[in-house]
Amino acid sequence: MSVSAKVPQWPYLTIANLLIPVAVLVFATGFFPYKPFMPGLATYEEADMPDSLGQAQPPAIFDKVVFMVVDALRSDFVFGEESGMEYVQSLIRSGAALPFTAHATSPTITMPRVKAITTGSIPSFLDVILNFAESDTSSTLATQDTWLAQLKAKEGGKLVMYGDDTWLKLFPGFFARADGTSSFFVSDFTEVDNNVTRHVPEELLNSDWNALIMHYLGLDHIGHKTGPKGPEMIPKQKEMDGIVRQIFEAIENEDHLENTLFVLCGDHGMNEGGNHGGSSPGETSPALVFMSPRLQNVFGANRESPTKASGEFEYYKKVEQSDIVPTLAGLLGFPVPRNNLGVFIADFLPLWEQDYDRLRLLQQNVNQVQKIVEATYPKYQWGASVGESIDCDGDLTVGQHLACRWQSIVKAASDATSKDFAHVTRSYYEFLYDAQAIMSTTASNYDVSKLFLGSSLAFASLVMAWCSLDKFGPITATGIFYTLTLALYGVLMFASSYVEEEHNFWYWVTSGWFCYLFISSSRKEWLPWFIFHPAVTLLILHRIIRRWNQTGQKYAGADDIVHSPLLCGSSSILLWSLVGAAYMDVTIRISRHVGRSISSADEDKQRKGGAGQDDNDADFESTDVNRFIGTLATLPLGATAFVFKLAFTSHDAPELTQGISPGLLAWVDALDLVGMARMVFGGLGVSLSWLVFAEWRRARNRKRTVAGNGDLALTTFDLLTLLLLTQTKAQNIPLYLLFRLQTFFLSLLSLSPTSLSLTTTLLSQTAFFALGNSNAISSISLSNSYNGVASYNISAVGLLLFLSNWAGPVYWALAGTVLLGAHGGVGGERRGFDTSELDERDWVVQERERLVGIREREVEEEGRRGEWGVWRQWVALATMGVAGGLVGVMAACTVLRTHLFVWSVFSPKFLFAVAWSVAHHLGVVVGLGSLVWWVGMW
Amino acid sequence: MSTGIQEPQKPKPSATPIDILNNDTAKIYTHIHPILVLSLYAYKFQSIVAEPVPALSESLIWLGILQIAYAAICLPPTGGSAAPVEKKKPGEKKRAAPSKIESGVNGKIIPAFLSLVVSVAPATPLLAGILVLFGAPITTHHAHTLLCAAHISLLTTLPLVYVHGVNGETWREIIALLRPIDEVYGCMIGTVFGAWLGAVPIPLDWDREWQKWPVTIVTGAYIGFAVGKLVGGTVLKGKKIMFD
Repeated sequence: MSVSAKVPQWPYLTIANLLIPVAVLVFATGFFPYKPFMPGLATYEEADMPDSLGQAQPPAIFDKVVFMVVDALRSDFVFGEESGMEYVQSLIRSGAALPFTAHATSPTITMPRVKAITTGSIPSFLDVILNFAESDTSSTLATQDTWLAQLKAKEGGKLVMYGDDTWLKLFPGFFARADGTSSFFVSDFTEVDNNVTRHVPEELLNSDWNALIMHYLGLDHIGHKTGPKGPEMIPKQKEMDGIVRQIFEAIENEDHLENTLFVLCGDHGMNEGGNHGGSSPGETSPALVFMSPRLQNVFGANRESPTKASGEFEYYKKVEQSDIVPTLAGLLGFPVPRNNLGVFIADFLPLWEQDYDRLRLLQQNVNQVQKIVEATYPKYQWGASVGESIDCDGDLTVGQHLACRWQSIVKAASDATSKDFAHVTRSYYEFLYDAQAIMSTTASNYDVSKLFLGSSLAFASLVMAWCSLDKFGPITATGIFYTLTLALYGVLMFASSYVEEEHNFWYWVTSGWFCYLFISSSRKEWLPWFIFHPAVTLLILHRIIRRWNQTGQKYAGADDIVHSPLLCGSSSILLWSLVGAAYMDVTIRISRHVGRSISSADEDKQRKGGAGQDDNDADFESTDVNRFIGTLATLPLGATAFVFKLAFTSHDAPELTQGISPGLLAWVDALDLVGMARMVFGGLGVSLSWLVFAEWRRARNRKRTVAGNGDLALTTFDLLTLLLLTQTKAQNIPLYLLFRLQTFFLSLLSLSPTSLSLTTTLLSQTAFFALGNSNAISSISLSNSYNGVASYNISAVGLLLFLSNWAGPVYWALAGTVLLGAHGGVGGERRGFDTSELDERDWVVQERERLVGIREREVEEEGRRGEWGVWRQWVALATMGVAGGLVGVMAACTVLRTHLFVWSVFSPKFLFAVAWSVAHHLGVVVGLGSLVWWVGMW
Repeated sequence: MSTGIQEPQKPKPSATPIDILNNDTAKIYTHIHPILVLSLYAYKFQSIVAEPVPALSESLIWLGILQIAYAAICLPPTGGSAAPVEKKKPGEKKRAAPSKIESGVNGKIIPAFLSLVVSVAPATPLLAGILVLFGAPITTHHAHTLLCAAHISLLTTLPLVYVHGVNGETWREIIALLRPIDEVYGCMIGTVFGAWLGAVPIPLDWDREWQKWPVTIVTGAYIGFAVGKLVGGTVLKGKKIMFD
């Protein structure tokens, strides 16, 4: 079919695929500019100000800090009327606690939030990626200026940390004593917290530390599992309240804790579904409370608690999360960390009696922020004296605006002889707040030329992929459908709601496509039972699959099959039957391959024995035996994989194993998960090696002229399916049965390569979303990415993370490849028919004709196999799809870079598009697919 | 559905496009009809958005009347083609057949009314099933989905049954898009395609009342009906849809 093509197509295709990662990289560097940070620790000497306020350092109010982070502690969990934290509320009433709502910027996930709380900077979106690549040394804060570093650098500074090990990763070697907890199983509500609490009494007796940091994870886990209104939520809040009481009473009573500041805060909040990562009010409004008996003396009892929120989740005064940093610096007496954009919280100023001290504190904050502003807008006047003044009226750029603010500070400070402290303070705060607002929006930091270059490169890749297609004559309906799908997809990327609800697009197109397939095949022949037409069955299966997991944003909590009483709770026995069936199916398939490999080994032996006769007889006789041996050899692998899934689920999602007998659960709970996962992976590796070896021998012995039947491709596909099952959550495993059925019905349809390519793309996307994924960072599931990994290993975890989230698309990429080459008769028993149906003669004749037709098509399909031209066309179509999607996403991100949702919707979508194009397309469709195609030729 | 459209290559003798009746009333009314249908929908739109079930039920009656009028005034009844009339209701047919009065109500209105019964009764549940397969809610909104299906079946199957009868072979050709395009066939393709496209605005975050099920689908079907009828009756008339 590629004879007519004169141009060499391989180079075009290669270039198209090489352009994809380049385009992504170029675009990413323009879209996520790497913010240079100022290295080194800040010192007081730098704080030289244009004033005559005196150089005496304001006295520190506290010398120790207890910093208690409760993950996902939303503001209403502490301040609201339904809160369980009554002790904290009593402290607020008494004046011993100063409450705030600390605004957390998106992305609201733990690591960027901890960065904001400790450095005072606004972490760039890159930190989201780095959050998953936690071991990346460039993302640690070891070399950055943080309040931890400042406290540690103090004389006798000693830090202690208990709780979420994110802190240990961010601050390696910082802590004198530490006990990290990883949030591995979200179902763990108690252990993660007890692991922290058990250290509290002894640490309260120790007097050697000047910072005790605690990070409790249990509340976040409860949120993820049961949402903010779950039954465990109030008891957990009461538990946290008890710990606050324990610590506060120790501060009141212990002499060595006399000057201790106690901070309670959440790193982020949660939405109504109990998840976080986005920018809804619930997610961005964690609580922040400063507590000390000394505050009571200054502020007195004048607050109400509990209280009502003024805005959505907005209780008391709203501050930025980064404001914690300069406030701690002032209260504990250390220089403000260099990259801080926070503003000293004005409510604490009364703690200092002298006006000079207050001004001095703010001055240090101003001075430090001014350095960042100066580095960003170097062309304006940032000197200590009034230079040539800027015209501060009319339209100003943000840089000019800040320069004006600075100018008024300089003026006010030079007038300080008038002792108008209020005026100076006001000008300080005006500058600080404006600088914070301007510097935290990165809108001005895009490298637009790189954005355009990246988009153009992606477009070039699209054109190259198009050039590498075989040009055949008339425009086909399939081609039009493909093009329209791609074009519409690109357009919809500009609609934020369609990015959030992307699954709807793919479900919709897929339904239409199956309908087209039905009409298209009905034009050729009309099946008497059109309800059971393969395309209609595909549509029915598709309808079940799309309902399996409700995904997206708008209807995230709506009913779906996974959460229906059909599979949950006591009827989880049905779920596990389906899971068992899926494992059984794939085990039987693998056992067939193993059985065949044994029989081919037997053949080999006989040939070597020189019997010389036709060895078909021997083959025939030993088939059953070989199958039996194959089953025996494979059963342990399948059983281990199944038991691993059961054991893992009883840890990870115990609500799904309620229908299982307690005895069995007790047994599986005692098993070592890491070891089991390794056994499964090892078993898969051994099976694959053996089967490749057997197939290689068989291929070697086969006559040159006889083509292989592509069994090894099918073998690889089935082994990979078992790997994917291992990486999939238990409740989604029955989907693979449906996918398998769809594969079977697709094989009946005998699609053209182009149709098959479109079908594979559509089903890959459908499978991605049907498995519960969406274009939100919060939907990335980490639960299966540590299977068999004992210590953190970035490449292993990264690979497992990809496989567990892209399991569906990976399945379909290979299923498509196998269908394309009709490897080993994917349809399975399609040549057999039930003899009980043969009572009518007409029917027999019809069926014969049909089977003959199928056979003819099969011969044609087998002709496809082993031809690299067919494979090239396949890859070219897939490349076109991916490059087209990238162009759409990049164009949308470029055009809408100032859109309100750019960080919450479009940036995550870009990251997902990168994963689709680089990891899925290049790694799986092209890389793994080529491998399977190649071994299919043996 | 994206399809290439070409001149017919091997027209079967039976598969000829349907022409509207050759009289002035028919020629005029065939252009007025889509305007009336769309006006009806536009008039009812507010109440359909506010309360879909009662409003859709009510407009269903008016649509039925309009469609019967269209069939009776403009379309040739099924006897015109070779396909024999199905013996669904033999008693009524016999009464209708002998009284061959051109202007008689019996010759026009009753077949049209029968077409209504024959098309709506089986087609509505079938179309509702197809709507569910395409993503209509399965556990809720049953009345909505059924009414939506009823509207689509009135728009599509009623005129088709009136002109083609219920011959199985013809209907296979209709479903497989093998028949030459004409006004009536264009209506069907347009309606179905429009209903499919009607699903696109549902997920958008405009938070409008009309985005709810099944308003957009019905709207798409009505618009598709008018467009399909116009295009099928004029530029594409007599052409056949070619796949690949």
